[in-house]
Amino acid sequence: MTDTRGRLNIDAAPGQWNLSGSIDETSALVELLARAQGSLLVLDLAGVTFINSLGVRDWIRLQSEASRQHIAIELRRVSEPIIHQLNMIIATRGNSRVASFYAPYACDACGREESLLIDVAANAVGLANLVAPAMPCPECGAQMAFNDFPERYFSFLVPEMPRPG
Amino acid sequence: MREASILIVHPDRKTQRVVHRILGVTGYRIEIADQLEQGLRLLQHVAPKLVVVDGSAAQSPQAAAFFAAARARGAEACMMLLGSAAIDQVPQILDMGAVTNLLVHPMPVLAEELTITAHKLMRGDLFGVEKYLLWGTELHDLAITRSTQRAHVVAGLSEAIRARGQSARVASMAMLVADELISNAVHNAPIDGKGVHYRAELARDTEIELDERHQVRVRWGCDARYVAIEVTDQFGSLDRDTILRALAQHDVRDSGGGAGMGVALSYRSCDHLVFNLAPGKRTEIIALVDVRYPPTERIPASSYNVFVESPS
Repeated sequence: MTDTRGRLNIDAAPGQWNLSGSIDETSALVELLARAQGSLLVLDLAGVTFINSLGVRDWIRLQSEASRQHIAIELRRVSEPIIHQLNMIIATRGNSRVASFYAPYACDACGREESLLIDVAANAVGLANLVAPAMPCPECGAQMAFNDFPERYFSFLVPEMPRPG
Repeated sequence: MREASILIVHPDRKTQRVVHRILGVTGYRIEIADQLEQGLRLLQHVAPKLVVVDGSAAQSPQAAAFFAAARARGAEACMMLLGSAAIDQVPQILDMGAVTNLLVHPMPVLAEELTITAHKLMRGDLFGVEKYLLWGTELHDLAITRSTQRAHVVAGLSEAIRARGQSARVASMAMLVADELISNAVHNAPIDGKGVHYRAELARDTEIELDERHQVRVRWGCDARYVAIEVTDQFGSLDRDTILRALAQHDVRDSGGGAGMGVALSYRSCDHLVFNLAPGKRTEIIALVDVRYPPTERIPASSYNVFVESPS
């Protein structure tokens, strides 16, 4: 059953909570901590399409309160709008761990732009070297190019994966 | 009345010429100096409305004295140009708090930004998003008459931008900027006679009917170069120093309450942010999202302008 808060939907899924819609002043994210299993809260953020500054403040409150209660947060399939905030505002990262995230790709051959899922553990070496994994274009099959500056887009991963050398 | 002039301070002769050619078409007298020291000497004899300096000036010990002298001589704007090599200096430039106009883009975007900025300043004609869009661009115009209309307007803007073939990324940036600017205009702009921002602490999801004075105007358009969003309130309470302080925050969290966080987040979410201020009358903020270039071909920083209408 969907729990709706303002413009944010929360759905239960096996072992995780799926968030979709907008995170803003109506989201009351801290209450999500009550849904942690043991000391772990797993959030799937693929459906989050928007977060504003009030949503960012609420997200930071969630992170702070999670640290205080010793609850670890795992973020799965993090959408691009959330990644932008994780990169811009360090406090939004808290102690959470990103398991996978969406990233922008573009196909030089056919011009298609796509947000594609990257698994952090499976691509750990490349990401540590700021190299985006190769992805085939879903339309023409050509290799797509990562469509942002890796040092900027992957900066939210830096504390987890120190650069080699 | 003094002759309107522009002072350019740049160490590179070729750039001097390029900037001179661009600003020369405005018809105003152009003074050129190679270094800030020379510029300071010139300021003893000329009173430019606009000074244009190279980004490397941010490193100079003379910078503060130069900007103070320019303001004392009546310069309405201190503009800094940034080559891509100087992008790392943006935080330092923002910290100076004296640069009212920062243009970060290389040619040919620089020529557009420089020309529009110079014309606005020299003519004293500051307002209107039309100045940043090509002739014939359709502008959508709507009034926010209830505070809770914001979410609906922002969602509609995103759908309309996507329907015009723009990417999800562009729509997402436009949504964020529009949300922050409308929120600021509805909640932070209103002040009473004592300067108290009487709606700043109201919960953002509280339904408020906005009378004519409190209504917020939103206009937007796309000319295949930019998605441009203009948001106007009728209080004119946002001031230059508040804006420059908010832009300078390295961590958006530290931008404080009120308009600060919205301004800081908007600046980082668009390519060019323009503040047109008529103190006590209205504040118009224009955000430009460049749709021509993919992220990898864009400068990882944004331009801004702060224009203040002179008392008539």
